Amino acid sequence: MNRIAPLTKLMATLALSLWALLLASLTGLGILLLVQLLLLLVTGTLKKTSTALRGLSLVALSLVGLQYLLGSTLEESINSGLRMLDMATAFIWLLATARPQDLSSALVQQCRVAPEYAFMFTTALRFIPDFFAESQAVQEAQACRGYSTRGNRLKALLAYLAVVKPLVLKAVNRSETMAMSMEMRGFGGNGPRSFSTSVALVNRDYAVLAALTSVTVGLVLLKLKFF
Amino acid sequence: MLDLQRICFGYSNNIMLLKELNLHISAGEFIVVAGRNGSGKTTLTKLMMGLLKPTTGHVLFEGEDVTGQGADRMARHVGYVFQNPDRQMFRDTVGQEVAYGPEQLGFETAATAAAVEEALRLTDLTDLAGVYPRTLSKGRKQRVAIASALAMKPRLLILDEPTSGQDAGQREQLLSVMTRLNRQGMTIMLVTHDMEILTRYASRVLVVGDAGLAFDGMVETLFNGDYPLAQWGLSEPAIVKISRGLSALGVATVFAAEELQKNIQPLLRKGDGHEPHSTAH
Repeated sequence: MNRIAPLTKLMATLALSLWALLLASLTGLGILLLVQLLLLLVTGTLKKTSTALRGLSLVALSLVGLQYLLGSTLEESINSGLRMLDMATAFIWLLATARPQDLSSALVQQCRVAPEYAFMFTTALRFIPDFFAESQAVQEAQACRGYSTRGNRLKALLAYLAVVKPLVLKAVNRSETMAMSMEMRGFGGNGPRSFSTSVALVNRDYAVLAALTSVTVGLVLLKLKFF
Repeated sequence: MLDLQRICFGYSNNIMLLKELNLHISAGEFIVVAGRNGSGKTTLTKLMMGLLKPTTGHVLFEGEDVTGQGADRMARHVGYVFQNPDRQMFRDTVGQEVAYGPEQLGFETAATAAAVEEALRLTDLTDLAGVYPRTLSKGRKQRVAIASALAMKPRLLILDEPTSGQDAGQREQLLSVMTRLNRQGMTIMLVTHDMEILTRYASRVLVVGDAGLAFDGMVETLFNGDYPLAQWGLSEPAIVKISRGLSALGVATVFAAEELQKNIQPLLRKGDGHEPHSTAH
């Protein structure tokens, strides 16, 4: 599974997200989650993504609780939580198995997306782990000056400004440096550009895409029949 | 003042970066921490600051067990200055930036003002109190970070590679602030790869390596030729190499350019009968 092309992975992620929207029953959404966990296991990324999955599960649980408190039935609330978890897990799998530059390459070469937008997309993806690392570093620096999240929630939220401000300023600074360095290396020019990575589809990709299409069509038909 | 007792720590459960480490720090020392990249220098200082919790072992401050207290509480005793001062600056003026720590620790308004004033004076930043800190040079920003730590009245000040990315002037200014603070009784612990800083300023050297303290002693002992410096990521400073090369002429091994110049002047006079020009600064 790791050897399939980035475009196929992207399509699989979109298909999995679409299936999460099409499936309405708890059983269906539960099976979809199990399939995705199996996919992570098969691709050897379950351990690497376990922290993110645990965090997402907590968010899903909060979503269930919030929906239930706002008047939804328990089944509807669990449905929403599971659906969110299904969709997010698909993206986690994509990020864990595809390199950002390959995704960018696929978007430009195969989906005809403008390089600027493709680059924006992949930079945003790359920014997530960097952002968490930087956030941790800023929190450590402020903790050395007495910053604490102990005490009541409102106080903690206000205190968080001491972390947010340097983070934002650093991000702005960094994006400016990155923009300059990209321009200096020819980014945004009008001439033709090339890609060093090959992202062409091969037979196994066509097979995966055919399977994804079949399942998607099947689910759409089922949805139309029972709607 | 600060004791680490049988500290073990690893970022993953299987691999221990530090094993059974013991360390005692006394008041008034100027300690330089050196070692290879990834040897655990910053980890050691983070354990002292409470940014990391040891897997096993204890951290004691003035005899009180402070293991796992967290950096926000340790900040009352220990000041920590990071390599990158941009990570902590978020207020509009240098004065306000320095006041953040005392405010977090609950100082009264007058006490905060006094602490800020003193910290700015100690770091030669009084004239810049009203300036936006992010527009300052790297050297000045680093001094703002030091002032921010000093304003909380710590007994021990830890600096993690504070001179990186600075020009010679900024570096000298920073080190003169450190020396002055140390003379006034502040305990300084400085993490650096700079061998010149190590030889010129350290009263004690700690080399982190081999999952613990590979060396703990005086500069003179470290460079006596008995230790595997290259294995620890260290090298002899030029001044030590030169003076050792001149040992056949009776020149003693020294650690500062001024000392070397003083030692070789009699030899030069003997050689051509002229008084040499002063070159050391």
